[in-house]
Amino acid sequence: MDGTFTQAWLQTVSGGGFPTLTVLTLLPMLFAIFALFIPGELGFAHKAMSLVGSLITGLVGLVVLGQFDRGAVGLQMVDNFNWIPSLGVRWLVGVDGLSLPYVLLTVGLTPIVLIGAWSAIEKRWKEFGIAMLVLETGMLGSLVATDLMTFYVFWEIMLVPMFLIIGIWGGKQRIAATVKFFLYTMFGSLLMLVAILYLYQKGGGTFVLSQLATVQLSDKEQLWLFGAFALAFMIKVPVFPFHTWLPDAHTEAPTPGSVILAGVLLKLGTYGLLRFAIPLFPAAMGKASPLLAVLATIGIVFGALMAYVQTDVKRLVAYSSVSHLGFVMLGIAVFNEEALQGAILQGVNHGLSTGALFLLVGFLYERRHTRAISDFGGIAKTMPVYTAFFVFITMSSVALPLTNGFVGEFLIFAGSFKEGVQSSILPPDGGGVAWRTMVLTCAGVATLGIVLGAVYMLSMVRRVFFGPITNAANELLKDLTWRERFLVGTISAFVLWIGIAPGAMLRLSETTVHAMVQPIRPQIQQVRSKADFQREMRNAAMIRPQPTR
Amino acid sequence: MSPLLMAALATLAIPAGMTLLFGVVPMLRRTGKPAAILSILAATTVLGIAGWLFATWLGNPTESLQIATYWLTMGGQPLGQVGVHLDGISVSMLLVVATVAWCVQLFSLGYLSDEPPNGLGRYFTYQSLFLFSMNLLVLAPDLMQLFIGWELVGATSYLLIGFWYPKPAAAKAAIKAFVVTKFADSGLILGLMVLAVASGGFAWDAPITPATAEIVAGLLFVAVMGKSAQFPLHIWLPDAMQGPTPVSALLHAATMVAAGVYLIVRADPIFSAAVHVREFMTYLGAFTALFAAIIATVQTDIKKVLAYSTCSQLGYMISGLGAGSLLGGYFHLTTHAFFKALLFLAAGAVIHAVHSNEFTDMGGLFKKLKFVAIAFIFGSLSLAGVPGLAGFYSKDLILEAVHESGNHFALFALLLTAGLTAFYMTRTVVKTFLGQMSHSAEHAHGPGPSMTLPLLVLLVPTIALGWAAGPFATLFGKPYEFHMGLVGYTAIALGLGGIALGYLVYGLGALAFLPRLFKPVATLANSSVMDELWQSVYEIGGQTPSRAAAWTDRYIVDGLMNFIGWLTIVLGQQLRKLQTGDVQDYLYAVFGAAALLALFGGWR
Repeated sequence: MDGTFTQAWLQTVSGGGFPTLTVLTLLPMLFAIFALFIPGELGFAHKAMSLVGSLITGLVGLVVLGQFDRGAVGLQMVDNFNWIPSLGVRWLVGVDGLSLPYVLLTVGLTPIVLIGAWSAIEKRWKEFGIAMLVLETGMLGSLVATDLMTFYVFWEIMLVPMFLIIGIWGGKQRIAATVKFFLYTMFGSLLMLVAILYLYQKGGGTFVLSQLATVQLSDKEQLWLFGAFALAFMIKVPVFPFHTWLPDAHTEAPTPGSVILAGVLLKLGTYGLLRFAIPLFPAAMGKASPLLAVLATIGIVFGALMAYVQTDVKRLVAYSSVSHLGFVMLGIAVFNEEALQGAILQGVNHGLSTGALFLLVGFLYERRHTRAISDFGGIAKTMPVYTAFFVFITMSSVALPLTNGFVGEFLIFAGSFKEGVQSSILPPDGGGVAWRTMVLTCAGVATLGIVLGAVYMLSMVRRVFFGPITNAANELLKDLTWRERFLVGTISAFVLWIGIAPGAMLRLSETTVHAMVQPIRPQIQQVRSKADFQREMRNAAMIRPQPTR
Repeated sequence: MSPLLMAALATLAIPAGMTLLFGVVPMLRRTGKPAAILSILAATTVLGIAGWLFATWLGNPTESLQIATYWLTMGGQPLGQVGVHLDGISVSMLLVVATVAWCVQLFSLGYLSDEPPNGLGRYFTYQSLFLFSMNLLVLAPDLMQLFIGWELVGATSYLLIGFWYPKPAAAKAAIKAFVVTKFADSGLILGLMVLAVASGGFAWDAPITPATAEIVAGLLFVAVMGKSAQFPLHIWLPDAMQGPTPVSALLHAATMVAAGVYLIVRADPIFSAAVHVREFMTYLGAFTALFAAIIATVQTDIKKVLAYSTCSQLGYMISGLGAGSLLGGYFHLTTHAFFKALLFLAAGAVIHAVHSNEFTDMGGLFKKLKFVAIAFIFGSLSLAGVPGLAGFYSKDLILEAVHESGNHFALFALLLTAGLTAFYMTRTVVKTFLGQMSHSAEHAHGPGPSMTLPLLVLLVPTIALGWAAGPFATLFGKPYEFHMGLVGYTAIALGLGGIALGYLVYGLGALAFLPRLFKPVATLANSSVMDELWQSVYEIGGQTPSRAAAWTDRYIVDGLMNFIGWLTIVLGQQLRKLQTGDVQDYLYAVFGAAALLALFGGWR
């Protein structure tokens, strides 16, 4: 090997600072490699190894938070290496206010999930620990990568451990669920890969996001490429009608899988839209946002209605995810500062509260080996602490003020209404009426979604926890252990903290959202008002009386 | 910071601290009685502070103090304040809430003496949470915080109604209350949104156009209809009686349900600009008042009578506010809070004594529960609007205002309600305290001191608050002058007539045809009709779409995906047959293709 190659590697290190993010991303993988050398019989060693790995990663995450400058625009703590020079693939990682909340969510949830798994996972701890650590690297990599190829690599890396977690440690129907999960996600990803490669050609052989964002594309190209990206992300979210993999995957996944799936993986869909699809193709977003808003709203209502008729607690929570992520998608579709802030925060909120719900459902499952609502009833009497936590998280899920859910949904509504009533940067040609009416309608329907949320969650709570104990098996249920209390207690503390003092979380992403909306929004708006303007012109032409001779 | 503001902040911090303490330290909560006493001590402190603030404001009624910080930012701009706002309105409401809450907490100690310690601790955790939430609502510097408090009291109401969760009826009632009010609350969310867009904030005195005010007020009023149990969203309130009786007194009579009225008083700049909404309020309030009063005449459960009576009196307040009498609506809120809390607590003492809510298990209790009976009778007289008692003065203000507004329907309905109120309260008094003693009434035992003292405390304003209408009005900066008009005399006549008639019918057994005459109307108006109507709305609106959605999800959405999967498999299986592994087949294919190409090329 000649010196130039190594030199090229060294020279591309930007800033020369300590590569915190690179370390953060690769640490879990490193521990996974360590774990490879520990014999599988030592289950305890693997529990410890994975936990230590994720905890150290968590500490590095805190370092990232400490170094993060909330007032700075653009990516921070950038590590820029030449990764595959022959293809122009760069190891370009950085965080900003968009990714940092999710990075923190990831490094925070993973240890919780791993401790939760001590009782949930009974076999093959070696493989499980490794899968979880690799998964963490995949998630972190997807969140920090801003080179499209690097991102894609991590995006696909996530898929494999998740596939294994559901397929090996899952429930009875796990194989069918994994196949469905894999096919759905893979289908979207492959289309995205094609789009990435097309962009790579167009952009003159680079995968770097900031460079690709300046590539000139025709309207048609934008639309197709956006479609490919958006589809991949929308399947991941999932947006109606691409959601049917989710209930199956959630129901069959073991508790840790469900928590990570709901807590972080789904959020990568919305993150991807915000990070890649929209900044790369703003004009296409202008055309697609009405569709996104409608699908989001359908998702809110549809998910809630579906949740209402479920007979399995876990499936109910899974459908509630569809509904909750509908709110996030609505915020993204509206794309103004309030709504985006709300969408980002609501992503974190959903990760916390739904993650906690899946943990709680898992605790119950470990005790009774059933999740059917009809098998329970009255267990508040035997499990008071468990009930208290469950009701508290339920309140977060139905967006009660002073819990996190309220702040996020409130901001999304505020943004949507502002957009609907006064799109301030509307050009003076009078366009945008159709869009505004639609946003208002969606927001109004979404408000009812909150009510539906209360209906399905509280009905479930009533049937599971209240009333007399009808099933003798529930009379001897053990309440939460200290380990379990610690896990949900930690999440509950965050739920309350974000609910009472949302400022800290919101300020993390404030600058980024502002900087993102400023340049992109006019481009979206321009397309939208152009389309509306043309439609109105056509209408006017139709109404206009024919000139008489 | 002024000591007044610090004290006001303490009324938030103390109950919040209690809630957190009980929540985080289960050991303390499970001790039961010590936790209860701790909570009562906290409530006492809050009451002391509220009293001090109120006294200060009586000396200086027009003062307005505020400390607030921004809670949310919206697009870089601060929006939504949290803090405390002190003026005549909030300070007086704080005193009402603190007094009733204190009485109720003390009363609960005796009422729930049979509860196991952890249940008692849980109860007082909720009580502290409620006190915090209600104070948060009352002291709100803008509508954002008011909304937060509003939702939180709703959640506490859910928890407290479902306090005896093993009872299926209680668990169901809790959900019903939460969902119905939550549904109504979407009006509040939407109203806030419109307000925020129109004025850039959630202040109730922000300048907005009359048209916007109509929209905002209309949306806010939807939420008021839910919280303050106005027709047709009143259906949750009677069911809410499944909660412990002191809870009914505090949340579902005196304070929480009055939050809707308080919202209108607070947001008066918005509502006074919304002429049409106020006209609607006058009509709807009057209708609810009459409607609920009619139903109250046939109830056989003492708490249900009081629940419908609450509905009816809230209708009074709404109607008065609609007619433009801020003072009337708010003053009636205040007097009603005291006398209705008194009635509920006295009813609680009765229920505690006979272990039943039904009139059939009562009767003749005057001998056994003398003080309770006297308290209840005074409460009833005040509610019936007997001159000299508190309820009379506040009701008169409303009637005068409605009269002046020229709304004849509303005036007629409200006057009729006044008569009916006297009638059904007399009926209740007779059936509970007079007449034949039932079997369980014979074994009734009197209440302990912790239950008697709150009754005594509440008896004072029930009787005397009306005489303080003048100073009370100064808190509003409104003039008050007592005068009796034709309407006032009519109301007195109807009230006394109602009492006389009630005694004639139920006490002396005369005019037996009258209740029979009444029965069909009341049965028609009875809640089961409305309940069934809502039930079908719920089914059509909720369950049917849910089933449709489930079907769509399985057969259309997922079906399409499965179809694609199936198609892939089938195509694959068919195409697989092309690969026979037989070289001859492949050669045929190659030659065939070449021949086709040649043909095609030649033909071109």
